[in-house]
Amino acid sequence: MTKEEQLIIINDAISQTKNNLKPLGFNLVFWGILINFMSLFHYLFPEIVQFSYYSSAIYWVSIPMLGMVYTTYFNIKSGIKIGYETQLDRVIRIIWGVFGFCWIFIVGISLSQNVVPTQDVLFLLGAVLLMTGIIIKFRWITIGGIGLLIFTVYTYYNPTLNLLIVNAIGISFGMLIPGLSLYFQKKHE
Amino acid sequence: MNKEIEKLLFNPIRLKTVSFLMTVETCNFKALLEVTGSSKGNLSVQLKKLNEAGLIKIDKYFQKSYPTTDYSITNEGKNSFEEFFKQLGSLKE
Repeated sequence: MTKEEQLIIINDAISQTKNNLKPLGFNLVFWGILINFMSLFHYLFPEIVQFSYYSSAIYWVSIPMLGMVYTTYFNIKSGIKIGYETQLDRVIRIIWGVFGFCWIFIVGISLSQNVVPTQDVLFLLGAVLLMTGIIIKFRWITIGGIGLLIFTVYTYYNPTLNLLIVNAIGISFGMLIPGLSLYFQKKHE
Repeated sequence: MNKEIEKLLFNPIRLKTVSFLMTVETCNFKALLEVTGSSKGNLSVQLKKLNEAGLIKIDKYFQKSYPTTDYSITNEGKNSFEEFFKQLGSLKE
């Protein structure tokens, strides 16, 4: 085997590594749809969600927890199917893992302090989306993250806004639309 | 550079494996089969040799009762590959 052949082999092997971002797109779309649906259901049927003192807290904790279990299962399954994990995949996994942990933490504190966690969660989500967008160099997620951060700051100065509508708008523009754009793009290597 | 390592990387399957592992954190056997285009038996033998030389790490564990194996490159493997690559580049010039 000549030196040129060795270099060709190395080049071919390295070029076979693709950063498969479709699972990330699916995750964003899944959470975008779920949180939108939950927000709108809560907004339209408050008598069902708020039928008792703790019911809305149970509603906003149990369903996202089930969502976390499902997305964790989906991510493990798609990881096995792809067969390898790149450094970029690992960074994204860690960032979103930390987001999940922080989400539980914020919701826990909010419940104990009897405050609504919507704005804090949206701010955290905006920051994580912005980081993700910059890391994977995907413009629409970066814009979505910046938009969500600005939108969340705006809501802090307008306390009369309905937080369920705020949630739906923020999630749609910050997560759902960029997620769809990432999921349906043909190639991102 | 260590002559044994150089000899080890002279094999195309081993070179493909180490090159691919340089770009990923971990990968499974199926992905390596696709990358190398080798047969299962041959790939197993080459992976064993790379592992014995300390270039790659093999992690075996059970996932949902199924035996799973992950492959990753060691620090020694990274250094050896970088040195090997530098040598190739300098010889080409």
